Amino acid sequence: MFETVRYEAKRRLPAATVISLALSAFAAMVLLIAPGIIGEVDVDALLENVPPALVESMGLEHMGTIEGFLALELYQFVWVLGLGAYVAYSTAGTIAGDVEDGRMDTLLAAPVSRRRLLLETYLALLTPAVVVNVVVFTVVAAGTAVIGESVALADLAAVHALSLPYFMLCGAAGMLASVAAPRRLIAEGVAAGAVVGTFLLQSLTTGTSAEWVGSVAPMRYYDPLTVLTASEYDLTGAGLLLAVTAALLLVAVRVFEERDVQ
Amino acid sequence: MPAIETEGLSKYYGDVRGVEDLTFSVREGEVFGFLGPNGAGKTTAIRTLMGFQSPTEGTARVLGADVRDAEALRAARARVGFLPSEPGLDESVTGRRLIRYHGALRGDVRSDELLTVFDPPLDRKVREYSRGNKQMLAIVIAFMHDPDLVFMDEPTSGLDPLKQEELLEFVRAEQRRGKTFFFSSHILSEVRKVCDRVGIVRDGHLVELESVESLLDRSGKLVRVRVEGDVDAEDLAIDGAHDIAVSGDGAVENDTIDGSGDLDTGDGQATTVSFTYTGAHEPLLRRLLEFDLLDLSIEEAPLEDIFMRFYGEDPSERIERVEGVGNGAGEPAESGESDDGDGGDDQRTERADV
Repeated sequence: MFETVRYEAKRRLPAATVISLALSAFAAMVLLIAPGIIGEVDVDALLENVPPALVESMGLEHMGTIEGFLALELYQFVWVLGLGAYVAYSTAGTIAGDVEDGRMDTLLAAPVSRRRLLLETYLALLTPAVVVNVVVFTVVAAGTAVIGESVALADLAAVHALSLPYFMLCGAAGMLASVAAPRRLIAEGVAAGAVVGTFLLQSLTTGTSAEWVGSVAPMRYYDPLTVLTASEYDLTGAGLLLAVTAALLLVAVRVFEERDVQ
Repeated sequence: MPAIETEGLSKYYGDVRGVEDLTFSVREGEVFGFLGPNGAGKTTAIRTLMGFQSPTEGTARVLGADVRDAEALRAARARVGFLPSEPGLDESVTGRRLIRYHGALRGDVRSDELLTVFDPPLDRKVREYSRGNKQMLAIVIAFMHDPDLVFMDEPTSGLDPLKQEELLEFVRAEQRRGKTFFFSSHILSEVRKVCDRVGIVRDGHLVELESVESLLDRSGKLVRVRVEGDVDAEDLAIDGAHDIAVSGDGAVENDTIDGSGDLDTGDGQATTVSFTYTGAHEPLLRRLLEFDLLDLSIEEAPLEDIFMRFYGEDPSERIERVEGVGNGAGEPAESGESDDGDGGDDQRTERADV
């Protein structure tokens, strides 16, 4: 049971470690420059020169608090877009890559079902997501204390916990691309492109009459800024993300079971 | 119950034919050779039987499981081994780790024993393996759960001759234990060593199904002999010789191979004769000893030649085709020429079996 989860998760640990370290270093840098900007830059004056629509759509008015600064500098962009795209990209490479390199033949020669192989591979990808979350949470929590600021730990924990359904969705989308695309490169491109594309879509339509278009974007249902600055947790959004994740995985299993492995 | 049974099994990739209307059965405990040139559809057939792809038409049963029934086939694969021609292995881990993983997936009852014969460097990453070591690792993975039926797709590719022999010996020993093999190959010599029956596949069709003995009787040997002096094709027209090709090849003492062209000072003319021969060795050798032999080789006929003989393609037509492409170098193979005097140029007979 779960041999594939164990095997694949272990294989991904080095990448998870590298990403954890990189994001921790980035978080530390953000925290180090935060006091200077929050204390010395007149954010309000600065924002007067920025179009109000942009200020509102990006939540720039929160720049002056440590919570807002963290959300804007670390979570809104690097976390949601960067890590989300990475999870989608690396999941997309799994099955498609195994098929392309002939490894899938050796796996499918064993008495395992394709459903099981796909779901276990998917579960294994949650390992990096969890590891990176735990490490970065710890670094940010410790870092804020070191620079003498305080962020509500519950909010910080919520930002990380609620990001998991979001990453799970990115992974499920990547998995669907992985079984549906004819080649690995295409799967990876489509998956990462979908995350970046929906992110842009939602950014561009926020505050316009076409705002409803952005509702296809998974980022709509996970907003670190609101969690950190208003302590509002969008549990419905998280539930929705999980439901779509399950649906995408079901479709992916179905596609994988029906297709030829060549 | 046959180990494998196919009924009109066909697989198309879009408009491209993989295999078409394959109907045959493989008995339990038999080594079944699946013989054909590259691109004939051998791998397509195996992939369809393994359930990697579904048949376009027809069906097959593997150990009783219908290949269109994914769950039944999954259960049957617990008793099936698979050795691909290009081992698809995760290269980022060590061989030992990979064996443990695949052992967990399919069960491991004999990897230790197998590793005494097929011994890749287990503690190194697979990425550092040579082609032969990868193949040995793939062999261990294919047999570690002691399967009753093993599909082997060109299994000796990449192995050195010693390991090839060990693999063939291993197959024979496994057969004595009652195991069944589906052995795809384009090399007649290895098929004859282990197989009981062969199916010959060409252009996606099964064209012949017979025992190895009768195949060999019909296929013949390729004889190449180099003798001193002029020889005509008729001189060697003994029973069982076909497609006799004669060519003068320059002076005896100036045994040039790449023929720079002006080494014509020798005092003797050598002639190379090649032909296909079916029959016993003795009459052939007796006749050959009537000449001054310079060189002699007797080999198994290449598979393409066998196909040509079996399925009636006219060799001379093929030769003309080759000549048309190759600027008319050489003479038609069966004209028995030798009118070139003392070989100013190396005269080569263009052979058709490329």
